[in-house]
Amino acid sequence: MAEFLDLSVDLGRGLRLRSPVLVGSGTFGYGFDAPQVDRAVLGAIVTKGTTLRPREGNAPNRIAETPSGMLNAIGLQNPGVEHVARVYAPIWGSWNMPVIVNVAGDSIDEYVAVARRLDGVAGIAGLELNISCPNVANGLQFGVDPDLAAELTSAVRAVTRLPLIVKLTPNVTDIVAVARAVEDAGADAVSAINTHVGMAIDVRRRRPVLSRGSGGLSGPAIKPLGLYAVWQVAAAVRLPVIGIGGITTAVDALEFLLAGAAAVQLGTVNYVRPQAAREVHEGITGYLKDHGFGDLRALPIRSASVLTHA
Amino acid sequence: MTIAVAPAVVVERSVPMAGAVELVLFHPPSAVAVNPGQFFQVAVTAPHTVLRRPYSAAWSDPASGRIGFIFNIVGAGSAWLSGRHEGHEVDLLGPLGRGFALDAEGPAVCIAGGLGVAVFPGVVQALVARGRKVTMLLGARTAAQLLPAERFRGAEVRMATDDGSAGLRGSVLTLFPQLWGQTFPPPLAGEGQGGGVDIYACGPTPMLQALIGAARRHEIPLSSIQVALETPMGCGVGTCLGCAAPRRDGGYLLTCQDGPCVRADRIDWDRLTDEFHG
Repeated sequence: MAEFLDLSVDLGRGLRLRSPVLVGSGTFGYGFDAPQVDRAVLGAIVTKGTTLRPREGNAPNRIAETPSGMLNAIGLQNPGVEHVARVYAPIWGSWNMPVIVNVAGDSIDEYVAVARRLDGVAGIAGLELNISCPNVANGLQFGVDPDLAAELTSAVRAVTRLPLIVKLTPNVTDIVAVARAVEDAGADAVSAINTHVGMAIDVRRRRPVLSRGSGGLSGPAIKPLGLYAVWQVAAAVRLPVIGIGGITTAVDALEFLLAGAAAVQLGTVNYVRPQAAREVHEGITGYLKDHGFGDLRALPIRSASVLTHA
Repeated sequence: MTIAVAPAVVVERSVPMAGAVELVLFHPPSAVAVNPGQFFQVAVTAPHTVLRRPYSAAWSDPASGRIGFIFNIVGAGSAWLSGRHEGHEVDLLGPLGRGFALDAEGPAVCIAGGLGVAVFPGVVQALVARGRKVTMLLGARTAAQLLPAERFRGAEVRMATDDGSAGLRGSVLTLFPQLWGQTFPPPLAGEGQGGGVDIYACGPTPMLQALIGAARRHEIPLSSIQVALETPMGCGVGTCLGCAAPRRDGGYLLTCQDGPCVRADRIDWDRLTDEFHG
């Protein structure tokens, strides 16, 4: 047996994960549908975006494949927070793996109501505030304005003791400004990035492919964009950064960890290779062994002091 | 449900009709597990593609461990798949979704428009094996694009082509009034219990909508019709929520979990669009 490797990650406020590999919101449902996934190698599941009331989602078409990526405009179809708290959470409580609920809403009041309902519910390890959904009316409003993002984060912070991650949108002029704002407002961690807004047009029918016209672009196409966002944000905030954006392989994940991410979320790849999380976890393990590193803290290219003062 | 992720081996590749390719894969777990109408998410590694491609099994033979897929070439993924030959490996995820409900005693009418025929060899075989009287209605643009009638042993096969080169001229639904007037005269048709006729349909959305219209005119209850839906698909297992189809009672069902085979009375046919073209 090789020397002991510590792949654990501390995301703050007691949220300690045994692996830096998470599965991202909207790519794993509520954890019940994905086939043959070994939960033992998952750092955590982040659930589908959850709102106060059940939502039916957008009309089809909701998805489209584009070069090295996919567009989605699901529209936050979800069963509502009551169902999540009452039916799903007790099941999660028996999984021995953290489940982080992604929280979405149209207003600060809605976010607060969802967070309040989930506070203290056994089986829920943390919240990820979705201030970056491009596929519903006003879904982006909180993510593009540092002041609003801070106001929302403060309001949610006030009603929950759960670890609070804020998921940032890349559809901004300055992602660092939003990251700093939510840090000051009491976030425990940030995740970056959500999807990039994009579209595809059906030239035969002469209309957008997606019913909403636009959607969020994910997949390998956005990996360099997510990586650069993480590189910038990690240097600007003291909070742990969870890197997201087209991560498909262990090498992709390592790029994010070297850029300063404390952990990563796999997204679109979960649709394609159900075992991707295991492969990425094992690839990171192998990399640490090969380089003689005992844990993940050795990975960031820039030291912590450089990171927080860059 | 057993969901396997394992490579299958191509043991045969052929062109069953003009413009289509049939791959026969050796994969005993899938051949045993699949029900007619279920589908697989097939991994493709064409450049710049990301998602798996959903394909209904055309047929399976548990005894020999073989399973067949019939598809046409509509994009990079299917083009890549069409280039698989004997000895190549193909990564299957499945079987997925719900197949057709086949257990009943009355006659069955299968209606296939275009590539919708790809699901029917196995469906017809299973219906015949249950001792049901089966009528297979085939429609295509031209005779060369019809899957040969010998693929539907035990069924009475009727054909229609847009150009009249085989069977009646017109869409597959051209065959419908004649069938309903003569072979299954009312009130036998669509009673839905004892002696009722079950309809199984797969094809382009406009064809399915025309079928629903015809059924309403002939007073055939939609509960006696099952359709295999075709929508865009992301994951195939219910997590991405990308394969929504409008539900009659509001909201959406998921083609991958609630379908692809669903009873026609569950669909809101007025809201179902034909956006998808593979």
